[in-house]
Amino acid sequence: MASRKEEKENLRRQREEAERSEQAAARRQKLFAGIGIAVLAAVAVVVGLVIASQSGDDNGGGNGAAGADAVQSELAGVPQKGTVLGKAGTDVRIVEFGDLQCPACAQFSESVIPDLIDGPVKSGDAQLEFQHFVIIGPDSDIAARAALAASEQDRYWEFIELFYRNQGVENGGYVTEEFLTDIATGAGVEDLDAWNASREDPKWERAIADTQSEAATLGLSGTPSIVVEGPGGTEVLGTPGSAGEIEAAIDSVR
Amino acid sequence: MGSEAALRWALGLLALVGLGIATYLTIVHYEGNDPVCLVGGKGCAAVQDSDYATLLGVPVPVIGVFGYLSVLAAAALPGDPGRFLGVFAGLVGAGFSVYLTYLELFEIEAICNWCIASAVVMCMVLGIALIRAVRFGGLDGPPGQEN
Repeated sequence: MASRKEEKENLRRQREEAERSEQAAARRQKLFAGIGIAVLAAVAVVVGLVIASQSGDDNGGGNGAAGADAVQSELAGVPQKGTVLGKAGTDVRIVEFGDLQCPACAQFSESVIPDLIDGPVKSGDAQLEFQHFVIIGPDSDIAARAALAASEQDRYWEFIELFYRNQGVENGGYVTEEFLTDIATGAGVEDLDAWNASREDPKWERAIADTQSEAATLGLSGTPSIVVEGPGGTEVLGTPGSAGEIEAAIDSVR
Repeated sequence: MGSEAALRWALGLLALVGLGIATYLTIVHYEGNDPVCLVGGKGCAAVQDSDYATLLGVPVPVIGVFGYLSVLAAAALPGDPGRFLGVFAGLVGAGFSVYLTYLELFEIEAICNWCIASAVVMCMVLGIALIRAVRFGGLDGPPGQEN
């Protein structure tokens, strides 16, 4: 038979064990409650963020098209008619066959075009024209028609130059309605409704198809390709590294 | 409680790294520039210029700044409030980062190395915050109490 002392020891141990498991249970409860609330609150917040993120019309806070001012000043004072930049009555024409999604064309637009505008275009030695040699993807076609629609409001070159400055990844899906509208707005297209309507005009598809055949005839394989036409002949230049090469071609076709 | 201090330091450090990334991207956004793209190509520009880069007018990196500030607060706060705040901030940060990574891979189809780095940091934050909460959470009580 257990002595009274042993009985008391047992009871005390049982009490302590009961206390310990109570404490452990209380602790588990606090832990589950804390983590549970954290999880519920986090799920609510993340769902809210995702919904806000998907609410498409994110024009507020977007910076529109970067470089609009720079493009405006680049082209200020240079006459423009449709797809041609430069003074009327000039016999030499520099034609760029380009794709708006092409990174090399964007590079060309940044490094060579400004020199061409400041040099032979402003001095009246040559005109500059852009033809859409659509080779990269379906978005290039959409972009091309958007640019050509802008040409009806004599904002073609602003549109092209601004597009190149804001160019995204090839076929990356950045050519959205919002993007194109931002470019048109930055380029100074005044009547956006007319611009949107013109984009669907079938005449642009014909123009783009004509460019494809002309490029094929000239043996062009990539973009940008520069062709210099004048009374003295036609020079196909590929992708010149500088305005100097183009100016030399201007001289030779005069 | 020595090892909880280590976890809190780790959280604080990660928060600072994440804060650096988010701050850099915020500055670049407001300057109108493109972030330095280590992966090469124009991935970073495509992501930062996409429609998804702002949320109701707020640039996503700014949301990141607030997220990392909460992680910093969680690291600084002792006891259960700090632990559970850490789990909350980690869940929101990691959850939202996973969503953004999904957008990069399947909607924008371009990768920004900064965003990936931030997502990795947030997942680590979540891991450490959970360890801290599970090991030390709910223990606060009258002095002398042990597990």
